[in-house]
Parts: sequence; C-alpha cells; structure tokens
Amino acid sequence: MISSMDTNEANNMQSDLVKIQDEEEAINSNLENLLSKQSILDSKMNAICYFLGALNTVSTDSKKLSSQISHTSDLAESVSAKVRSVDMARSRASECQKRVHDLIDLQLCSQGVLNAIEEEDYEKGSALIGRFLSIDQNVLRRTAGDVGSNGSVTSVSDAVHTLEKATEKMRKLVVIRFDEAVNKDDLASVERFLKLFPLLGMHQDGIEKFGKYICMKLAVKCEKELRSSLDIAKAENRLSVAFADTLTTLLENFARVIEVNKPIIETYYGSGYLIILATLLQNECDLEVKNVILEFNKNRRIADLIQQINEYNRSMGGNMPSLIQFQKQSLNTDKPQPKDLDALILELTIMHSRVELYFRFLKRKVKSDIEASDKDANEKEQQIQRLSTILNNSDLSRKMQEILSTYLLFERHFMEESVYKAIILDTFEVGQQCSSMVDDVFYILRKCIRRSLTTQSVNGLCAVINNTASCLCNFISALKIPLKNGYPSGYTDLAYSAIQSAVQHGKLQSSDSEKARSNFINRLNNADMSTEFLETLWETVEQDIKNTFPSLSVTEQRIVDSCIAELRNVRDTLKACVNFGMTQLRSSAIKPRLNPWIDQFFNYSHILSEEELADYEAGETFIQTLIVQLDAFLSQFKNVLTPRNFDAFVSILTSDTTSRLERAIKKSSFNRLGGLILDQQIRALSSYLTGVTSWSVRDKMTRLTQIATILNLEKVEELSDYWGPDNENESPSWRLTPQEVRTLLALRIDFRIDDIKRIKL
Amino acid sequence: MEDYKFLFKIVLVGNAGVGKTCLVRRFTQGLFPPGQGATIGVDFMIKTVEVEGEKIKLQIWDTAGQERFRSITQSYYRSAHALILVYDISCQPTFDCLPDWLREIQEYANSKVLKILVGNKTDRDDREIPTQIGEEFAKQHDMYFLETSAKEAENVERLFYEIAAELIDQARSKDGTNVNKTTADAIGLGNFGTKATQNSCCSGFSSNTSQTNCENGNSRSNT
Ligand SMILES: Nc1nc2c(ncn2[C@@H]2O[C@H](COP(=O)(O)OP(=O)(O)OP(=O)(O)O)[C@@H](O)[C@H]2O)c(=O)[nH]1
Ligand SMILES: [Mg+2]
Repeated sequence: MISSMDTNEANNMQSDLVKIQDEEEAINSNLENLLSKQSILDSKMNAICYFLGALNTVSTDSKKLSSQISHTSDLAESVSAKVRSVDMARSRASECQKRVHDLIDLQLCSQGVLNAIEEEDYEKGSALIGRFLSIDQNVLRRTAGDVGSNGSVTSVSDAVHTLEKATEKMRKLVVIRFDEAVNKDDLASVERFLKLFPLLGMHQDGIEKFGKYICMKLAVKCEKELRSSLDIAKAENRLSVAFADTLTTLLENFARVIEVNKPIIETYYGSGYLIILATLLQNECDLEVKNVILEFNKNRRIADLIQQINEYNRSMGGNMPSLIQFQKQSLNTDKPQPKDLDALILELTIMHSRVELYFRFLKRKVKSDIEASDKDANEKEQQIQRLSTILNNSDLSRKMQEILSTYLLFERHFMEESVYKAIILDTFEVGQQCSSMVDDVFYILRKCIRRSLTTQSVNGLCAVINNTASCLCNFISALKIPLKNGYPSGYTDLAYSAIQSAVQHGKLQSSDSEKARSNFINRLNNADMSTEFLETLWETVEQDIKNTFPSLSVTEQRIVDSCIAELRNVRDTLKACVNFGMTQLRSSAIKPRLNPWIDQFFNYSHILSEEELADYEAGETFIQTLIVQLDAFLSQFKNVLTPRNFDAFVSILTSDTTSRLERAIKKSSFNRLGGLILDQQIRALSSYLTGVTSWSVRDKMTRLTQIATILNLEKVEELSDYWGPDNENESPSWRLTPQEVRTLLALRIDFRIDDIKRIKL
Repeated sequence: MEDYKFLFKIVLVGNAGVGKTCLVRRFTQGLFPPGQGATIGVDFMIKTVEVEGEKIKLQIWDTAGQERFRSITQSYYRSAHALILVYDISCQPTFDCLPDWLREIQEYANSKVLKILVGNKTDRDDREIPTQIGEEFAKQHDMYFLETSAKEAENVERLFYEIAAELIDQARSKDGTNVNKTTADAIGLGNFGTKATQNSCCSGFSSNTSQTNCENGNSRSNT
C-alpha cells in the first residue's frame, strides 16, 4: 500500500495517514468487540464442563439399570419355573385327590352296592355301579398297584372285584326286572328300569328292549284302531277318507313315541341313541302300515280299478277316442267314472302327504339328535347317511311310492275322462263367445294340479303337469276338427242376413251351415280364450308351487321348470291353432265377400268433369257403399268373436281390402278430379277402419295412402315436395318403389309421359 | 350360457339295474358312480354339446326302472325327442322285457320319436344276449342299435352325439331349411343300426364323417 503512494506529495501523505488511522480505529473496535465476547464463551465453556460430569453419572446409572433388569428377568424366569412346577404339583395333587376320592367312593360303592342289591334298591345300586364304571378302569388297576406297594393291595382289588361282580349281577337283575315289568305291562316300572340301563353301561340293550316293548304296545293299539276304523269313520261321516284317517292315526302314534321319548332318552342316555329307537320303530311301522294298506286296497278295490284303467288305456292305445267312440265308451260301465274316483283320489293324496310329513318329522328329530351327540363330524355324517338309507329302504317308503303311483294313474284317468266329458257335454249359450268346455276343461286341469300339490311330492306334481300338457294336446285336436273343416261358405245374402238377425235376436236357427258356422267361430274363440286361460294356469301354478315347496333343491327346481315349459309349448300350439282358424276364415268368409265389393270400383269413372263431380258427390259414392258393406260385415263378427280374435279379423280384412283396392286402382285411369276423389275416399276408409279396432290400422293403410297422394298431384313436378329425403321425418317413408311411382303417375291421363320420365326419383 | 341352437329331450328307459343312471353319469360327469342307489322317480341332467358346429343343449331324463315308478316316468315320454331303451347284455330278463317297454312307448310317446336300443355292460364276460340278437330286435322294431359299457366308457359319448346329430337333421328338415340332401345323408344316421356288424359289435351306428364330428364336438366342449 505504501509503495503505491506518492511519498513526495505531503497532501497525499496526510490523507493517507488519515486513512490508516481510520483503519486502525476500525480494527481496534473490532478487537474490543471480540474481546467482549470472551466472558460469554468462558461461561459456556464452564457449563459444558459441568454437564460432562453429569453425563458420566447417567452412564453409570444406566449400566446399573441394565444389570438390574437382567437380574429381574432371571428372577422372573425362576419364578415362572416354580409356578409351573407348582401347577404340575397341583394337578398331580388333584389327580391324587380324585384317585383318593375314587378309592373312597370305590370302598363306599363296594360296601353299599351289595346292600342296595339286597334291599332291591336298584336306583341306588345302579348309581353306585354307575359311579364305579365312571372310574377309569385302567387307572384303577394302576392305583391298586400303587397302593399295593404299601401293603394294602387286597382292599382295593377286593373292592373292584366286589363291584365287578355286583355289576354283572345288577345287569342281569335289571334285565329280569325290566322283562317282568314288560310282561306285567307295568309302564311305570318299564320307565324306571329304562333309566337304569345307561348307568350300567347298557345303552344299546336298554333302548332295544324299550323299543321292542313300545313296538309291542303299538302293534296292539294299531290293530285295535284298524279294526274299529270303519265304524269310527262311519260315525264321523268320514267314510270316504277312512283309511287316510287310519293311516294318519297310525303314523301319529309312532311320531308321538319319538316326540315323547326323545327328551327322556337324551336325558338318561345322552344324544346319539335315538337312531336305534327310530330303526326299531320303523320296522314295526312298516308292518302296521302294510296291514292298513292291505285293508285299504281290499276295501277300495284298488287292484280292480287299476286293472280296469290299464285295460281301458290299452284299448285306446294312448290315443284320444273320437267323440263317437267316446260316447260309446261312456256307456261301457267297466270303465271307472271320474266322479267315482274323485273321493278315492283325495284319500290317496292325503295318505301320501301324511307319509311324507311323517318321514320329514322323523328325519328332523333323529338328525337333531345325531347333531347334538359328541361324535366327530365324519361319524355324524355317516349316521345321517345311515338314517336316510334305513328310511329309503323301508317298506313304508315303498308303500308310499305305490300310493303315489296309484294316485297318478287315477288322477290321469280322472283328468282325461273329465276333459273328454267336458268336450262332449260342450254347450254353447247364445250371447257367449266361448262354449262351456273352455271353462270346464281349465277348471278340471287346475283342480288336478292343485290336488297333486297336496301329495307333497315333487315327482307327483311334475307327472300331473306332464299329463296336463298331453291332455291339452288332445283338447287342442278336438278344437281343431271344426277349424280344419273350414268356415262354411257359399251362403247367399239372404242366408247371410238370416244369421245376422238370429244372432241379434239371440236365437240361432238350426240350419246346418249356420250351425257349422257358429261352431267354427265358437272353436276359434275357444282356442283364443284357452291361450289366455293357459297362461293364467301356469302363472298360478308357479305361485302355488312356491308356496307348497318353499325350498326345492336345484335339480327339483329344474325338473319343475322344465315341466312347466312344456305348458308353454302347448300354448304356442294353441296360438298356431288360432292362426290356422283365421286363415280359414279369411279364405271362406272374407275373400268371397270382399272382392266383389271392391271390384265395384271399376263401375265408377275416375275421369270426371266439374259437373260430373257434383253429380258424383250428390249420389252414393263408392266408398260410402263399401264402408256400409264392411260395417255390416264386421258387425256380424264384432260381438261373436273374442276381442283378440276380432282384432286379428279386422287386421286380415284391412290387408285384404287394401291389396284388392290397390289392384283395382292400378287397373283404372284418373284425371285430376278423379285423383282428388280417390284421395278423399282412401282417407275415409282409413279413418273408418281405425275406428273399428283397438289398435292402429294406419300402418296397413300406408301404401294405399301414398298411392292416393300420388294420384292426387296437381302437377308431376309437385311430387318432389313429397318424395325425397327432406320429407322423411314428416311422413312415413315411402313404401313404393320408384318404378311403382312412375307407373302410378302414368295412370293420370293428364300427366305427360315425358314429364314422368324426367322426374328424378 | 343360454346360447344354444337346439334343445333336445332325451329320455332313458329300461328295467331296473340295467345301468341307465351309470350311462347318464358317464356322459354328463365322466365318471362311473360307485354304489349309488336305484333311481327314485326321475332324475335330470343337462349337457351342452357341439355337433356340426352347432351348440346343442341336451336335457337328459334318467327314469327309474322299478315298476312302481311307471306312472311317473310314463308322463315324460310324450315330450321326448329321443328315447333310449336300455337292457343289460348279461341279463336275459332285461331283454325279455323289451316288448313291454315298446308297448309303453307306443302308448305314451310321440309316434315320430327317435328310438335307440342300447345293450349295456359290454365289459362283462358273462354275456347272455349275443349282439346279433339285439340287432335283430332293433331292426324289427325300427330302432337304432348300439352296445355300450358305462363302466369302460365304451360308446357312451358316441351314443349321445349320434342322437344329437340325428335330431339336428330331423329338426332341420322340419324347418324346411333342409341342408342339401347329400350332406345330410353323409352326416346323418341314415344307416344308424340298420346295417349292423361289419367289423365290430358296435359298428353300423353311423358313418365316419359323423364320428369325426362327434369327437371334434366333444373336445371342444371339454375345453
Ligand atoms: N359291469 C358293468 N356294470 C354296470 C355298468 N353300468 C351299470 N353297471 C352296474 O349296474 C348296477 C345298476 O346301475 P344303475 O345305473 O343304477 O341302473 P339303473 O338302470 O339306473 O337302475 P334304476 O335306477 O333302478 O332303474 C350298478 O351296480 C352299476 O354299477 C356297466 O357298463 N358295466
Ligand atoms: Mg337309475
């Protein structure tokens, strides 16, 4: 810094000096500042030294703590080891205590048991033996050994010996006493000894003996009841279900035994033993039911009826008899009559449902007993399986299947015969659209299906639904016969108006063709009504099934569904039958009348002057006449056809009218005024037909309306206002091809061919 | 699931113990059931198969052979498209009952129903009914014929696939959408059982084309 200064210049030096002094001052003040901080730093330093000392203490403390902890844990471990050994000691002590108790009891038992036997105090004796048997015999032997080392082996093994002998004696005694009680039919004693068997370790014997006793009693009771059943039934005016009542009482007897004795057995024997009793009872039940069924078959002549029905069916070869054949058959008294079977069928359904309910009850009771036992899951499953096998193979189950089989045979016969009868006795009341057989047939079918539900058998229900479907197929063929023959035509206007007045006055004259005509219409209505009834039938049946069988298995549900689906197929057949009838009606009723009416169109000129137009409008126009004719024609059918059939009829009529009229138009020529009139006429026709039915016929009229629009054009060029994409959303799209449009335009004599050719379509 | 072109009902009938349930289980579940009891009433299985590129739903009704279930089982005949009448080739009485079964079929089934006579249990070596006898009987009564073993899975798949193929042909010709005649003959069962025993006891059931189809259909339905 000095070297850089010009020392020669005093001024400069002066100023430099000042600068240096300034700097010196600044440095001094800095230094002072730094020195002033020294004391703070010193005190901080001191503090740090102090804390260092404290930290040393912490370190030694924590070392101490850790050693204490490990010490504690050692202690805890040794404590827990001690606790464990205390536990073991205690359990040994209690085992010991138990053994001591056992030994004391053993002594007491052995002392008491002989006394008890002598005093015939079987309860006490059995209780003592029960106590003895509850001691683990192996432990007892070991204890005898242990005690033996102290020299008193004899007293323990003596006691055991005494008790073993007493047990044997007691077992024999209880059996003897029980048998005595049975022989004396002393129920109180029977129940008294029944409770002793399990104490003596004789569970199986006890229940078997008891079961045999009960069966014996039941056999007597059932026999008595069977003998008096018909008298009682007569007295109670229940003769028609006498055997169902007897069977019900019988099954109730058996069910009651289970119901009453289940708690007793569970209390004294424990769970899991009921199946033994149930098996014994089932054997007896099989025998008793057999007697009832034998009586039933004999009294109700079941075998005869089965044979008669089978023979009758065979003679029919599975075909529905023709009506004449059937009438002859009806006279044949060999064939069981539906009304005679009615009561019997009811009895069969009751019998079947009682057995079904009995089995359900038995299964539920025994199952719950098995579930409550202390066996493992696998063993329980096996037991339940065994129960099912026993019940399924029981004679009662076979009898039940036979009852169902008989029921189904009778029910089918009942259904078929009743349906045939309904067809034969079919009556038609004037003013009705359908004849009596539709109501009757569906009433019968519904009754039969309902009845099948009361059997409580899914198999039975399904079979009856299947039979219903085949019965309906026969019914449909009966409906179809008059439809096949067609609607009688060839009537003159006179005969035609005769029907009309007959229908109106509520009496049909019996000319053959009139009869045939009304028969035809009636069958057509029957078929239509039947589709509706059938739909209702399966809907209600589905509901009934849900109510009767709330928990069907998946397979059962599928079987049921598939059987009901069969009814749907029948409905489709019925619909086809209606359509068939409609086409018949069309060809013989609609076509022959309609064509001459429409062909009148040719008798009018469509090329008119203003004057002629005025004349034309003054007189009766073509369309007025046509509408009057159509209206008269339709009113013939309006009230005699069912609404659905009438709509279908109008629909056919509309199609035929439009196509025939279209044909006539295409064969005519028009001028401007002719086109104008045509357009008015088509509008009138459309609005008339729309008014006749509940649905719109507009769609069927579209082509014709479009034809009229074209023929009503002022000029050819005007067509572009209607034709083309611009108009598509306003009016229905064109049903006419460009070629057709040109042909139609050419019908206007006032349009030039060149103009028509030129127009773009 | 519900996408199938045809639904056919096939009903199996025949004496108790001839192996109807085993045939159905073999076909629908691919197993030979050990010691299942006699069928009670009817049982019902569904299997969808593919034949000639069409998905076919087969509703198979397994009926009980015991007499006392007859009035249940009869009610299923009417709606059947095909009836399989089974006997046991090692048990003469089951064969002797066939006329009774036919009478029943005649009485209750649709007259146009497809009927197939099946001699089951070919695996057994105590055969009592020679194949020709079965065949003769089938021919006489206008039935197709096949011998099977539910146990060894012999001809079981074939039985059902052939039935499906034949029913498809019938359905098509009824529809009016009849496939051209020559193909129909090639794949159909025109000679199902009528021409019998050329090479093996089970030949003559149908042509090779259809057999290939069946196997294809099968492998497809298994994957
Ligand atoms: N060896 C042999 N045994 C068979 C065959 N098919 C069935 N069985 C045996 O025949 C017995 C009866 O078989 P099921 O299938 O129950 O007879 P089912 O015709 O259904 O009898 P039901 O139901 O009473 O009408 C069973 O023991 C089967 O093991 C077979 O192909 N070969
Ligand atoms: Mg079976």
